[in-house]
This record gives sequence, structure tokens and C-alpha cells, in this order.
Amino acid sequence: MPKKSPGERRLELMQGTLDMMILRALTWGPQHGHGIGQWIRAGSEDLLQIEHGSLYPALHRLERQGRIAAEWKLTENKQRAKYYRLTPAGKRQLAAAHSRWAEIVAVIARVMGPA
Amino acid sequence: MWLWRRRPSERDVDDEIAFHLGEEARLRVERGAAPDDASAGAHRAFGNVTLVREVTRDMCGTRGFASVMQDARLGLRLLLRHRLFATFSIVSLALGVGGTSAVFSLYDAVVLRQLPVHAPEQLVTLALHQEGRQPNSFMPFPQFEAMRQGTQSLEGLFARTGVPMLSVSAGATTGIASAMAVTGAYHGTLGVRPAIGRLLTPADDVAGAPAVVVFSHAYWRRNFGGRATVLGETITLNQVPFTIVGVEPAGFFGVTVGLAPDMTLPMRASSRLSDNEPPWNDAFGTWIEAMGRLRPGVSTARATEELDVIFRQVSLDAAGDAALDSDDARFARATHLRARPGATGGVSGLRNRYERGLQLLLTLLGGVLVLASLNVAALLLSRSEARRDEIAIRLALGAGRARLLLQLLTESAVIAAGGGALGLLVAWRGSELLLRLAMPNTTVLPIDLSPDLRIVAFTSFVSIAGCLVFGLLPAVRTTASAPASSRGEVGGRRRRWVDRVLVMSQTAVALVLVVTAGLFVNSLRNLWAQDTGYDRRNVLMFSIDARLAGQRGLTAMQTYQRVLEQLRAYPAAQSVSVSTVRQVSSTYYFIDRVTSVGDRLLSADAPIRVAYNQLGPGYFQTMGMRLVAGRDFGWRDGPDAPPVAIISQQMARHFVGDPVGQRFALGPDDVREVIGVAADSRYARITDAPREVVYLPFFAQVSPRYAPTYEIKYAGTTADAVRAVGEAVARVDSSLALFGTRTLEVETQNSLARERMLAGLTTYFGAFAWLLAGIGLYGLLTCTVAQRTREFGLRIALGASPGAIRLAVLRESAGTVVVGLLAGVGLALLALRVIRAQLYGVAPVDSMIVAVAVLVLLALGGCASLLPARRASRIDPMTALRQD
Repeated sequence: MPKKSPGERRLELMQGTLDMMILRALTWGPQHGHGIGQWIRAGSEDLLQIEHGSLYPALHRLERQGRIAAEWKLTENKQRAKYYRLTPAGKRQLAAAHSRWAEIVAVIARVMGPA
Repeated sequence: MWLWRRRPSERDVDDEIAFHLGEEARLRVERGAAPDDASAGAHRAFGNVTLVREVTRDMCGTRGFASVMQDARLGLRLLLRHRLFATFSIVSLALGVGGTSAVFSLYDAVVLRQLPVHAPEQLVTLALHQEGRQPNSFMPFPQFEAMRQGTQSLEGLFARTGVPMLSVSAGATTGIASAMAVTGAYHGTLGVRPAIGRLLTPADDVAGAPAVVVFSHAYWRRNFGGRATVLGETITLNQVPFTIVGVEPAGFFGVTVGLAPDMTLPMRASSRLSDNEPPWNDAFGTWIEAMGRLRPGVSTARATEELDVIFRQVSLDAAGDAALDSDDARFARATHLRARPGATGGVSGLRNRYERGLQLLLTLLGGVLVLASLNVAALLLSRSEARRDEIAIRLALGAGRARLLLQLLTESAVIAAGGGALGLLVAWRGSELLLRLAMPNTTVLPIDLSPDLRIVAFTSFVSIAGCLVFGLLPAVRTTASAPASSRGEVGGRRRRWVDRVLVMSQTAVALVLVVTAGLFVNSLRNLWAQDTGYDRRNVLMFSIDARLAGQRGLTAMQTYQRVLEQLRAYPAAQSVSVSTVRQVSSTYYFIDRVTSVGDRLLSADAPIRVAYNQLGPGYFQTMGMRLVAGRDFGWRDGPDAPPVAIISQQMARHFVGDPVGQRFALGPDDVREVIGVAADSRYARITDAPREVVYLPFFAQVSPRYAPTYEIKYAGTTADAVRAVGEAVARVDSSLALFGTRTLEVETQNSLARERMLAGLTTYFGAFAWLLAGIGLYGLLTCTVAQRTREFGLRIALGASPGAIRLAVLRESAGTVVVGLLAGVGLALLALRVIRAQLYGVAPVDSMIVAVAVLVLLALGGCASLLPARRASRIDPMTALRQD
């Protein structure tokens, strides 16, 4: 196994959360990378500042893990783009991540409490 | 290109990112940004494109073996993208590897390879040694027989002797075959197992035993379709019936490299094939070659000691009655027997003739291979130079150096694998081609050229070593560069120095090869232009052997005479004749001793050694040789006429006054009168110095001992002449088979086969080396110019003229080439010392050839530098300076 590059390590910090958001974005139907980025930014009402580029390593990792699948299609503007869609495994992963995330939020909220 | 489409590929990632950036920019433009700003903003929001690309690729990258495969695919793809580079690298490697391996496999087959028999390292060959003489591998039979019976150190000893071509009749078909006669222990001692039937045993080789014959595998396949039912069948050899008892295994070619007899006969039985019983009891007639197998633990030296005692005892006993100063007594006193390691077989003419030449070629080809590797190294070097930026960025982004190294190495491995595979093919076909060049008239190659494991290993080793050498250097160098210096000139000077040494060595090696090729070509031209003393144009030669048709003695002589008469009747034949020795073919070399000249008796120690030939009337006219005095043989010079001879000019010098009419003696009973003097000619080989030759009348023989060769000076086409002689012979006796039908011109060419092989191959490889050196120089300069774009731009900006820039580049290349050439001249002079023995009529230092070679390489250097120089002088300073 080759050593992980520093870049990969930096991305790992938000790996779980980013993966979850990507899977979530795809519940609305197949979407290309740029569209997913737009969706996350719009959903967070521009508060979540992720580098657009960070999406792609995550997308390819998820694809390799079989949680999403991809194919090249034409956009409305007749451009070739790689569209990702959820696989059954991705849906299960999203459900699991979603509930664990909800739990963590609830637990952390309880610990932090109203200041 | 399914190879890299099957996985998320790099191109996919690039396309995806490009789409993202385009889409983002489009959105920004829609929101009112200026196009330039929109694009920049898209990039900003994306982050580091290269980094993302890198990391994303790692994501979809597979691991372990798969990653090597991926690297290989990437390597292949990069090579496809740089087709010219790849083609050139692979082809030059293939030729380098292939050429070297082809010559090596030939060398291996001819010189190195052990006989394909049981434990060949135990075999010894026996030879006679006399102080100050070359060892003689032929020996008398009585000594052999005594050694065979008395030896303790050998567990087997056999002898063999060549047999003239045989006429073979099986059923209705008649053909010609080569054969070898052996004593009974032959197959058993060698430990050869039959393909079918049985091989020869000592019981086959006793007087009165049934006549049996064993076929070689190739002959059996060729003429009997490999059918097992031949066992027990009877064939006739020269009209004498023989029973087929077995077939030798495939790949067994006998014990002499280059001689692959079609069949093997017991020596006793083979004597029925000729009129003359072999000298079984003559202790001084050397005619058999002996080989033996050492008992386990016995050394060659021990065997020599034991066998020499037996050998000398028999010789001295046999010489007992002879006068002390007789030849026989001298032979008995002076001759010792020695055993030598015989794993590679007996003394071989093919080996003797080609060993040195092949060694030489091997050395030269080694040079070409080094050159080819250096060139690929230089090319990879300049390519990695071009990829320096990319690699520096990948390193800066934290890509593992090992992984990058591996990837760069994979690229050269792809080249090595391609070059090696192609090279093996070249080697396989090439060695056969070389052998056909060397032995132009052979239909069946007499040696085993199938590439054995050692050749495969040699080829793989050469290409793997090549890959490592020319892959590692650029890879280490490129990845060693600190990212910060990727644009700077740090270390540039030292790198260029390495490149220049590469180009210098290429130039030097190329010069050596070009000079060597020039020498060989010159030598060949000298040989060909040699005044041979005969006219080789429009002379057709062929041989027949009346004994093969069962004719003996006078009957055979009459047949030969009738054939000659039939040939004379052929209208397009301007002149015809017959002779025993075929001129220039070097197959026969009959030597006799002249014991007296004129009235002078020569001392027994200093006879004149003469070559002799037997000629029919009209020989000199047919061959275009001059008679400088006296007359030619006529029909009346028959068996009952007084013995006469014609001598060569060289021989005439031993006479006092006009030799015509004088006498000389070939031994006490053979006194002859000189009737003519012929101009000197090359007797057996084109390289022979004019020698003493004695020509005797062909039709004075009562019984022919050798098959004669006919010579026909013809008008019209060769094909017509060949047809006419066939018809003429058939009219005399349709069972006579013609062999060795060739024109004198072809015969002369064939006699120069080795020289032609050397000249052809060195020319071919010299041109190749020349091209390699040129491309190497071009690559180096192109790369240098690219590296120094900024410097040249600056100089142009500061007012340097394009001419000055051109000159700067040309000066650099000239310096490199001249140093290389100087080194090359030194090397060429060294090489010349080694190859001088292979050359003919070439001055020790042929300054003309060296000068031409130097000029040719200089011209090449100029051509290779012009384009980069022009490019340097046309650099636009603004572009160059903005490059960062």
C-alpha cells in the first residue's frame, strides 16, 4: 500500500460529513460533480465553504466503494459530464450515516447544553 | 483503446474537472462576472487543480500488482502519444539486442555449444602433435585399434572418416546423400538414443557383417516422410545394398559442427563403396579422426599419458625396418598423441573459419548495443527533462518518490520489453540469415539454431540490463530535483555534461563501426577485384561421379570422356573441359612433393610442396587462364602416352632455363616431362598467394579416384546452359546425377562468404550506429536549447544576433562531436590491430577510410545541430521571459 499523501490526510478531517452530504445530494436524482457542489452550497445557504475540488476525491472514493455509480451523459447544455447516482449500498450507507449523525448531534448538544 | 478505458482513467478525471471549471465559470458569467474573472474565480473556488487531480487519481487507483499494470498502461499510453520516440527506442533496442543475440546464437551454435549427447564434458578428441607443427586430428588406423583395445582410461573410443557423396536408390528413386563412416563404438560411446530402431554397435563393424545404415533424423524426415516402416528396408548405396536399421534422434548432427551427414555407416561396410580398400594396416597413413569418453575420475592428462605410450609403441614397431632418415621413421620418432576436451565436438572447418570473425562481430555488436542503450537513455533523459515541471509539482504535492521512480522505470521497462521481444525475433530469424549468408549453398542448415534457453536468457538479460541502465539514470535524476529548482538552472551544467559524455561515446563508437565497416568493405572489394588468373564470367561448373552409377575403373573414365564429348556438341558451349579439383572452392587441396627438378635432386628434407590438379584438354582456354609457354594437354595424353605435366609460373622458377622439355619427379617412380607453363592463378582460395602448381592430364588416369568437375564456357543465359548440360549428361547415362552445379562467378562469391558476411553486417550496423549517433546528438541539442530558452531569449533581448546564437549552439555541438571523434579515432586504431588478420589488401592504417568516416560523422553532426540551432536563434525574447 503506498503511503497516503498529505493532501489525502487533510481531506480525511471532513470525510464522513462530506460523504454524507454527497450521498444526500444524490437522493434527488443523478447529478454531476458541479451540481452536487452547487446543491451543498445552496443547502448550507453559502455558509459551508468547501473547496469545490475537494468533492472529486470523495466522489471517486465513494464510487470505488460502490456507494455511488457514475456514467457520462450530456447536460441540458449538450456538454459531456459525469453523472453520479446512488447505488443500493449508497442508500444503506446514507441511512446509517444519517442516523448516527443525528445521534452524535443530539449527544453533543446534550453535553454542551445551553451555555 | 480498451486498455485504459476500462477503469476510471486519468482522462476521465481531467474531463470531469474541466467540465466543473467550465460550468462554474459559466455560472459566474451568468451572474455578471467578466469572462476572465469568472474563469479565475472558478479556479480559486476549486482549489489546487493539480492536487485534486493527483488525489482523485489515487482514489480510483488500484493497488499492488494492479498498480504496476496501471503504470504499464500509462507507460504504453505515453509511448503511443510519443510514437516517434517510442518507435525509435524500441527499434534501436530490438536491432541492438537482436543483432547481438543473433550473432551470439550463431557463435554459440558454432563454437560454444556442447554436443547434444550424454555427458559431453567426458568426451575427448585425439590429435597428433609434432614439434613446431599444427596438431593433426587425423591418425592411422593400427594405432587407433591398439589404443581401443589397450586403453584403461577411456570407457569408449571410436573413429570416423568422411565418405564421398553417395548415390542412394530406394525403390524407384535415386538421389545423392552425404555419409560418414564410423567404427562400431560410435553411438554407444556418445550415448545417443535412437529415434526409432537401433543405432550402430561394434558387431556391425566387423569384416563380413551385414551392411547396415542409420539415417539422420532430418534425412529420414525429408526423404522417407518420417515413416517408421523404413526399418528393415534395403536401399542401395552406389549400387551396394544396405539395410536400414535405425534413425538418429532429432537435433543430433554428428560430432563435427557444420557437417551433418545424412547417414552413418559402419566403417568396415563403407569400404565396399569404393574401389580402394582403406589403409587399415598402414601405420603412417593418417585418415581417421578419433574421439573417446573418459572413465569417471580420469583426467585428460592421464588419458594422454596412457594413450601416447600405446600410440608410440605401434608407430615405432611399424617403423622398425625403415631406414632411420625415412619419413616413416621420422613420423614414429616425432609424433605424440594428445587427448583434448571434446565436449564441443571434433575439429570443424566451419568453426575454424568463422570463430574469429564471429568474435569480432560480437564485439562490434556489443558496441552497437551499448550505443542503442545509450541512445534510449539520452532520449529518456531529454523526455524526463521535458516532464521535469510535472514531476516537480507531483513531488511538491507529496507524491511518493518511490512511486514516481517506479512509474518512470515502468516506462523504460515497456520499451525494454518491446525491444527485447522484437529483438528475440530478430535474433531467431537473424542467426539463420547469417548462416545462410555464410553457407550460401546449403539447403539444410547443418547446425542447430533453435534459440535455446541460454539465448533467451542472454536476450532477456541484455534488455533488462538495458532497461535498468537507461531507465534508472533519468528517473533518479529527475525525481532527485528539488521542487524549487524545477525552473532554475541549478545543476543544469552538470547534467548537460553527462549528456555530452553520452553523445561523445556514441560518436566514438559510431566512428569505430563506420571505420571497421569501411575496412571490411574495402577488403572485400580488394578480394573481388583480385586478378585471380582466370576469367570467372560465363563459366558453368558441375560435378558427376560415375562410381555412384556403379561404374568402376576404365568404364568410369570412358563415361567421363563421353560426357565431355556430349558437352562439346552443345552449340552454345565455346569451350569445355574437366578437372579433378574445382578451382577456388577450397574443398579439395591436393598436395604432393616434388623430389627432383631438372637434373637437380632435392634433399628429402626440402622437397617442393606442390598443389596438383588433373585437367582435360581445353581447361586453360575454358577458364581464361594463359599458357605462357609450351602446349596444352591433348587427347593423346592418355594412359599409354609418356607422362607429362604443365606447371605454374611459380613452379617454373625452380627450373634453370626454359622448363619446357625438362623433367621433374613426384617420387621415385613418377618422372614427368614439362610440356607447358601456365600463368599463376589463385588455386584453391581467392586469398591464396600464387603457388607451385602441377597440372597432370586427366585422361592419363586409368581409374578415377575422385569425382570430376566439368567446366563450360558458354554463350547465352546460364539457365539455358544448365539445361543443356543436364541433357548432355542424360544422353550418356540417365542414372548419372549432377551436383554442385554453379557458375564460376557464384563459386568465387561463395568462397568469400565469410568476408561478405563481415562486410555486410558491419556496413549495416555501421550505418545504424551512424544514425543512432545523429539522433542522439539531435536529441541532446534540442533538449539543451529547450532548457536554455530563457538564456537565449535574454541574449537576444540584449541584442545578440540570431547568427551569434546559432553559432553558440553549433559550437557546443561541434565541441562534443570533435571530442567524440578523437576518442573514436583512438579506438578505431586499437580495433584495427585486432581485425587486421581478417582483412585483405588493406593498409595497416587506412587514413582515407578514417578521414571519410570522420567527415561523414561531422556532416551528420552538422545536420543534427542545424535544426536546434535555428530554433534557438528564433526564440522570441518576450515569450521566453514570460515563460515563468
